[in-house]
Amino acid sequence: MSIRQMIRFPGRSGLGLVALGIPVVMFVFLGFTAPNFATVQNYANVNAQIAALLLVALGQMIVAVSGGIDLSVGSVLSLTSAIIVSVDPALAVPAALMAGLCVGLVNGIGVTVFAVHPLIMTLASMTFLQGLALLILPVPGGDVPDYLEALVRFTFLGLPAAFYWCVLAVVATWVLTSRTRFGLRIFAVGANDLNAARNGVNVTMQRITCYVLCSFGGVLAGLFLSARVASAEPTMGVQYGLESVTAIALGGVLLAGGIGSVPGVIAGTVALGLMTNGMNLIGVSPFIRAAATGLLLLSAVSLQPRKTIGA
Amino acid sequence: MTMTTRAFSSRPGATDALRFVLNLPFAYLGTALLLLFAYFTRPMLLSPLLLLLIVRQAAPLGIAVIGQSVCMRVLSLDLSIGGVIVAVSYILTSGALPYPPPVLIAICILFGLVVGLANAFFITRLRASSVIVTLAMAMILSGVVISLGQFYAPGDAPEVLKFIGQKRIGIVPIALLVWLALLIPFALFLRFSVFGRYVDAIGSNPNAAWVSGIPYIRVLTVVHVMSSLFAVASGLLLVGFVGVGSMDIGSDLALNSLAAVILGGVTFGSGKGGVLGPAVAAFMLTFSFNLLTSLGLGEPGKLMLQGAIIAVAAMAYAVRMQRT
Repeated sequence: MSIRQMIRFPGRSGLGLVALGIPVVMFVFLGFTAPNFATVQNYANVNAQIAALLLVALGQMIVAVSGGIDLSVGSVLSLTSAIIVSVDPALAVPAALMAGLCVGLVNGIGVTVFAVHPLIMTLASMTFLQGLALLILPVPGGDVPDYLEALVRFTFLGLPAAFYWCVLAVVATWVLTSRTRFGLRIFAVGANDLNAARNGVNVTMQRITCYVLCSFGGVLAGLFLSARVASAEPTMGVQYGLESVTAIALGGVLLAGGIGSVPGVIAGTVALGLMTNGMNLIGVSPFIRAAATGLLLLSAVSLQPRKTIGA
Repeated sequence: MTMTTRAFSSRPGATDALRFVLNLPFAYLGTALLLLFAYFTRPMLLSPLLLLLIVRQAAPLGIAVIGQSVCMRVLSLDLSIGGVIVAVSYILTSGALPYPPPVLIAICILFGLVVGLANAFFITRLRASSVIVTLAMAMILSGVVISLGQFYAPGDAPEVLKFIGQKRIGIVPIALLVWLALLIPFALFLRFSVFGRYVDAIGSNPNAAWVSGIPYIRVLTVVHVMSSLFAVASGLLLVGFVGVGSMDIGSDLALNSLAAVILGGVTFGSGKGGVLGPAVAAFMLTFSFNLLTSLGLGEPGKLMLQGAIIAVAAMAYAVRMQRT
């Protein structure tokens, strides 16, 4: 396959030159321009900053590959944060997972059984869950269970806990999408749901599972982030919904469905993380950073080929 | 199933009436139920004076809803409304641009035009998803405005806007008149113009519209420019109504307008929907937020209600469409 073909038809992985090139270019650029970029401490910081985003983005990728989108993960993250400080410590994780399961089921059933547009459905649950999180925990604070804090504080073989969270999530998602029947089916559903259905795939079931898995990604990110800052915040995840979409779109995941890969998501997340980190190091105001993320999102979705016009 | 059909068919008048009510936009029934609920729990809210105050409060949302409803009729969405309004409030009140109010208002309108064109460019030419594009646009606009706020803080609204937003003629608020002055001509325009027909055609079947040579891209561009201009008008009214500019003014208008449009009977893929339904829904939402506040449920309750309304109404319409 020639290079030109690779740019044009990166195949089912979506790993084109743009997806892989951006993080590399950013890395080199920051290495030369930003002070303190090329230090072990900063790499550890970047790793910790992008760990939560990576957890969310991997879930978002699963939904996107199946042809949907989930804007509500950010609120799931916030809700998780609110839940774990509000219930009995022993029940914190099960309660959060239960909430994630419910959210995923509602999103999935709304999108499949009721045929509501995924953007509208998840926008609605995003708003609802943000309200719920604020209802459970009106002000930031609370005590995160000790065992959760221990899970994000340890270092093993000189590497921080965030690294192991990332590796675990990446391997799990990779196995799920590339080594199971479920993975094969969601690619089929995303590429053409009618064809998939005619070939005996239960499209409804696969889609609902995707939304549930995506919500679990949000729950894990919520657990990780709350434990890391050792406190809960009911608006912790506001920006994660759109940032995860930005990350996967940068990583070559086709939002129309059927194309995407775990390495692509890693590349996209690293690219976004490096941009944030670089702006931090140079000293740009956080609000300009939000605007820059918006610009990046615009350019990432503009590069994607799509047939339909509109929502 | 046959039993119920027979039971109903023996009283054709009743079924027809029931079907008619059930086929109306949810906003009508919802408003009636809300008013009834308020009658029993908070009768104070139903005094003419307070109702008119609530109508005045609903006017900015109502104006934004007009633009949003046309967007949804052509299967697109505009969530950049909040960003546009924050920017309008900043242009008008910060004093960063040292011009008299009429010039500032003209700048705002020009600004709306540019934002609408930019949205439309990304949505039609680059074929990016309208939700993502307009959400990104909102992020960019509010990010830029907030960081500019370090240099010039937003301040008082121009007197002329305060007058329009707050004063009344007799008992009727001027804001309501402005709302009607935009709503009625626009409704007539959509009903009787060729453009209105194009909008309906695209909404009911985009592929058929495309194939039959309707200027799809031009219509979508005009719709998005309109939506941004209505957002600017809504922002002008809101800034006048509140009296001062701020960094989070109108931030919930994008989602509220979406909820109002869905409640008002405009849904994706039906090509149906008027302008009146969404307007009633805008009143209904504003009324329900007032009711919630009077019942002691604050911001969380409001958000949950918004989300639940959007989800439940969208699902109910989907079920209704599958049945017909």
